Formats: sequence, C-alpha cells, structure tokens
Amino acid sequence: MIPLALIESGEKVEIIDFVKKGKSLFNHLRDIGIFAGKIVEVVSNQGHGPLLLRIDEARIAIGRGMAMKIMVRRLQ
Amino acid sequence: MKEIKVAVAGNPNSGKSTLINAIAGTNLQVGNWPGVTVEKKTATIKFDDLTINLVDLPGTYSLSPYTQEEIIARDFLVKEKPDLIIDVVDSTNLERNLYLTIQLLELDIPVVIALNIYDEAKKKGYEIDIEKLEQLLGVKAIPTVATKKEGIKELLQVLKDFASGINPIVPKKFNYGDVEESLKIVETALKINDPGLLNRYPSRWLVLKLLENDELVLKETGLKGDEKFLKQAVSHFLKSHDEDMESIIADIRYGIAHGVTRDVLKKREKKHIDFTEKIDRIVLNRYLGIPIFLIAMWFVFKLAFDFSAPFSDWLDSVISGPVTKWTTVLLNAAKSPEWFVSLVTEGIIAGVGAVLVFIPVIAVMMFIITLLEGSGYMARVAFIMDRLMHSIGLHGKSFIPLILGFGCNVPSIYATRVLETERDRKLTAMLVPLMSCGARLPVYAIFIGAFFAKNAPTVLWSLYVLGIFMAILLGLVLKKTLFKGFAPVFIMELPPYRVPLFRDLMIHTWQKLRHFVIKAGTYIFAVSVIMWFMLNTPYGVEKENSALGRVGKTISPVFEPLGFGTWEASSSLVAGLIAKEVVVSTMAQIYGTDNGQKDNSEGKEGTKGFLEDLKNVAISFFNAVVDAFQNLLAGFGIKSLQVEEEEEMTTLKSKLQEIFTPLNAYAFLVFVLLYWPCVVVGIAMRQEFGSWKLYGQTILIHSIIAWLVAFLIYQGGRFLGF
Repeated sequence: MIPLALIESGEKVEIIDFVKKGKSLFNHLRDIGIFAGKIVEVVSNQGHGPLLLRIDEARIAIGRGMAMKIMVRRLQ
Repeated sequence: MKEIKVAVAGNPNSGKSTLINAIAGTNLQVGNWPGVTVEKKTATIKFDDLTINLVDLPGTYSLSPYTQEEIIARDFLVKEKPDLIIDVVDSTNLERNLYLTIQLLELDIPVVIALNIYDEAKKKGYEIDIEKLEQLLGVKAIPTVATKKEGIKELLQVLKDFASGINPIVPKKFNYGDVEESLKIVETALKINDPGLLNRYPSRWLVLKLLENDELVLKETGLKGDEKFLKQAVSHFLKSHDEDMESIIADIRYGIAHGVTRDVLKKREKKHIDFTEKIDRIVLNRYLGIPIFLIAMWFVFKLAFDFSAPFSDWLDSVISGPVTKWTTVLLNAAKSPEWFVSLVTEGIIAGVGAVLVFIPVIAVMMFIITLLEGSGYMARVAFIMDRLMHSIGLHGKSFIPLILGFGCNVPSIYATRVLETERDRKLTAMLVPLMSCGARLPVYAIFIGAFFAKNAPTVLWSLYVLGIFMAILLGLVLKKTLFKGFAPVFIMELPPYRVPLFRDLMIHTWQKLRHFVIKAGTYIFAVSVIMWFMLNTPYGVEKENSALGRVGKTISPVFEPLGFGTWEASSSLVAGLIAKEVVVSTMAQIYGTDNGQKDNSEGKEGTKGFLEDLKNVAISFFNAVVDAFQNLLAGFGIKSLQVEEEEEMTTLKSKLQEIFTPLNAYAFLVFVLLYWPCVVVGIAMRQEFGSWKLYGQTILIHSIIAWLVAFLIYQGGRFLGF
C-alpha cells in the first residue's frame, strides 16, 4: 500500500483504505466516487499542488494533503 | 386544471441548470433557500391544461447530510413531498449519476430521468437501452439535449401523462441483501414504538437513515441512536464487518448503480478525441498554467474596465447633468423649499448615482464570471492556485473572488458562492476588501498627482502590493484565530470544457444584476439621505459645524498620530463609507472648490432645453458604445487604470499641498486602502451571509489594521526624518 499522492501520472490504482477516517470527509469522498475497492486513474500528479484523477468518466481534483491519506495499490 | 409539484435533482455538471432554463425560460425565479445562501430557483409553467410547479434542488452527488446542498435537497424531498422528481443524469457518466438516482428511489417518489447530454454520449459511442433502464429502476427516462432544447416537450408530455394517471410510475424497491433483515427489525420496532414516524417520513428511507445513524434524522425523530432495536438490527454486521453501516449501505447502492449500468449501457469503442484532456494538459501544466491564467486575467480586467468605463462615464454625466438639472427645475416649479431641492439633488441623486455608476462594471464582471464558470475554466483556476492559497488557510477556489476584488469588491462578495463551506466563504469575504478596488483609484490619483507625481507608478504599485501583503498576513492571523479548525479540503470535479449558451449567460448575468440593483438601490437611498442630513444639519451652517463636520472633529484626535488629525480629513473618511471615491468628492465640497464650479456649469447648461438635453444623452450613449469597443481593441495596457489628472481637481490639489506633507499624504492613502469597506460591500455581505455581523467584524478588524499600518508608516517616517 502506498499513499495516492505518491502515484505518478498515468498510473491506475485501486483504493484500499483511508488513514484517519474523519467521518464527514470520508463520506464526502465516497459520494464523489472515492471509496475502497474503486479503481481510479491518476491523470496528473505534478509533485506539488493538487492531483487530478479520473474516476469513471469524471475528472476529480483532490488536494495533496487529502491524497496523502488515501492508501492505494498499483494495478499492473 | 391539474397541478403538480416537481423537484429537479441531479449531480453538479449534469447540465441541470441549462435544462431548467430550457424548460422554464423567463418564468424562472431566483431566490435563496430560507436561512442559507444557496440559490433556489423556482418556476411555474403551463403545459396544456397542466400547471407544473418546478423547484430546482441544489446539485448534489448524494443525499447524505454532509454539505448544505445535500441537506437542503433532502429536506425538501422528505418534507415537501413533491409529486414527482425529475432526475437530471449526465448520459456520458451514467454509473456515477445513478448513485444519486438509487437514493432518490428510496424516497418512494416517482422519478423521471432526463438522460441529458445525450448527444455527447452518442458521439462517444455509448448506447443506452432506455426501455431496460426504465424497467430496472421503475422510472420513465427521456433522452434530452438541454443546450438544443431537445427532449423538453417529451419530458413535459411524460409529466402530463403522469398527472392525468395514464402513466403511473412506480419506483423500484431494490433488495439490499443482508441489510434487508436489519431493515425489517427496525421497521417492526418502529411500528410498535412510534407508528406516527413511519407515516411522517417515507418509511423505507427513514429506516435506512436510522440504520445509518444519520445525526439529523435522529435529532428530528427524537431517537438517540443507541436504542436497543437499532443495536440489535446492526449487531450481526458489526461483528462480521469492520465497516460502519453507512459504508455498507453505500456499497450496496454503488453495487446497484454498477449493475444497472452494466445491463443498459453498451460502449462501442469509437475513436474520439478528448478535447478536454488536451486542453487540460496545457492549461494545468506546471509551467504554463500560471502564465496562461495571468493572460486570461489581464483580458478579464481589460474587458471589465475598458469596456464598461465609457458606459459608467455616460451614466455619470447623465445623472449629474440632465437628471439633476431637470429634477431641480421640476422641484423649483413645484415651489419646493430650498433644503428639499438640495436633499433630492445633492443627497439622493448624487448618492444613488454614485452607486448606479458601478452597474456597467458589475454587469460586465458578472457576465465574465458566468462565462468562465460555464466554460469550465474557473474550476481549473482553482486547481492551479490551490497550493498558493493553502498557505493562508484557504484553498484554490477562494482565489477567484479575491482576484475579482481588484475590479470591484462587490461582485467579489457574491463570487464567494463558489466555495462550499460557510467558513471558507466568510474568511474569503473578509480578505476581499484588501484587494484595492477601482473606487479607491480616484483618491490615489489626486494625492499621487499632488505629492508623488514623479514616482506615480511606483507609489500606486506599492499600494496594490501592500493590500495583497496585508491580505496574506490577515489570512494567516484569521486562520489561527477567528476561523480556526478545519483545514480546508480541496475536492472538486473539473467539468468538461463546454461552450456556454449565450442565452444562459444572459439569464444568469441578469439575475445577479437585478438582485444588486434592487437591494443596493434601496439601501443606498437610505444611506444617501442620512449622509445629506449629516452634512446639512443644522441647515445653512458652515460645513465645519454640520453634523458630519462635528463627527469629523470629534474623531479627528484618533487620526492625530497618523498625521492627518483634521476635521476635514476625518469627515471625508467617514463619508467614504458610502463608496471610497466619495472621500475625494467630500474633500472637494469641504474645501469649497465646488461652489464656483457649480454656478458656472448651471449658467452654461441653463440655456439648453429639455429636448436638446435628451438628444445629447442619446448621442453621448452612442459615443460610449463606440468608445467601449474602441477600448476593447485599443492596444495594450489598461486605459482606465492609468492615473489621470482631471482639470477641476487642480484647485483641490493645490489646497491639499498646503495641508498635507508627502509623508502624511502617503499615510492617508494607506489608510484609505485598508480602512472600512464601503457600505455596498456591507450590503452584499448581508445578502450573502444573512446578517450584518460579518460586515461589523470586517469594519472593526480592517479599521484597526488601517490605523496600525498608517501609524507605523507616519511615525516610522518621522523617525527616519522624512
């Protein structure tokens, strides 16, 4: 498992778990499509600033701090 | 005559607002949901003999109670019990959108799905089996293309058939697997303990929410959440899973959405070029992103200022010219007392006029904001600026209102709507007044002209930079004090780039503008009357002995340590509450440079007739239009932002040179930059946040900052021997 924030552009990952589940935030993430078991693609990770993800057909920007708290697994 | 109540729900970016515009057109009414700043759109439309009362719910991804929008949407659905829900679904993104649909079906209200953006889905090679979708969900589904008004009639026909009973819609009750047993336990317990509850709410929804331990529902029903039957209902889950009930139920909903999508959607792989992705690769690029944004911003300012300036000037000349003149003539003809004529012309017309002059700027600004939002670029700006904004306790989205503040702070306050949380909105609104707005320019212009003519650009630049610097500083302090807590979390969907419809842009601009004109008009009217009385009671005395003069005199010691403790300066600053450029006009009045002028102009214009004036108004409007377009095309540099010397101000300028020194003049400018924001900003804040409290806090904090900084500059300067 590795934090989402460390995944490079173009990689696909499966969401595994969340560090420190703040309930409200965690639920908001789930409603926007980020939950355990979901497969997402990192469209852009420039090393600083927010990440851009593709979830299904939607483009979701997510702050780096948040992305550090989402644990994922690389898909090959 | 039949009448039905219809709620329109859907995800953000599903094209919901365009669909509403297409259905309701000019019947659309915009207000706020009670007690909150979320926009509420309603419309009553007729389709044959059917009256449809539409209520547009805020765009949400879900009905869980975590954002204001979600709470509003579900409260309406649960309490107002609409007869039917139109669920606007983005056809290119079926699975995500169906997650909300599944939750709507739990409410046991008939659902009609508008499969919107259907043309793009087809272009992408998607095939949706509509009949099967209807069957699986227990809904009616109509393909729509809101931007081209396609499918609207069919949609309304479905509503009509439903209302007349031809076409009953029975929402499907999905089997939630393992959870069903728990649902039954709760339902049975409720039937025994409190059967009234099951009638008051949609029963299945209520039971689900109780299982999820939904705080708001628990509060409303008076249950505590640790009742025996609730614990019993979930006990076998919590033993076998390590997740909470909410996640388990959410997983089931996602599962259903996934399953339905798999059954109805065929993706025929078509090679299509994803424009959005290509543009994003450039626009969000780590090196190009910010330069592109700066160029875009430059165009925004150029448009907002240069395009609107001729119209502002025209309004100004019409109001101070013919309108004032002919009102005076009329009032005199009606034998009105002298003081009343003065109240109407110098008080009301001049005061309200000072604000009306801003309408062109605000209109153009609003239009551009709407354009940038509608095209999808605004979301990208938030993305680019996120990192920078984090340092002052905000996230990327707050950047947009702040940058707009350089034009005029008022639309900035309205633009804070793009932020999700009340905290972010308020913190941003509090920083906005530190962005040096256009109304402060006339004050800078006259002082810089009088004292710093040689270094004009540098001095002007220093004021803008000081404002930004103070905003960062204040942000840092407020983050740790008044707005403690929550680290802002940045999550937002970047919608695909779309060309917004001109019709939609105009509708949205007009709605925002009308709001401003009506509300601001009434408040400004009152404030103008008050200010006139302040400056003219007792009537006929010297300005120094008027109420305003006395207020100025009383508070002038406060400004003594800043180097400008005269009653004239203090009175002007007080008057600046109306709008900051009023500081200059009040000074002009106080130093008595206007009397001679007024006699001159009256003598000059008195010879013209009414029709001639009317003709001139029309001609000057035509010239304004020409100027506006010329400004738009004319070279680089923002024309109206240049420090201009106005002829009539030379008298005031030489007067100022007698009274001020360069040092206290600069301290004065810094004070004008930072002190209380004008009352129009206050009105906007009240409208957006529901009370005067935030404006009060802002006045207090900003005045203290202004005093401290001006004090440091003046005393520091004296110490250094300036």
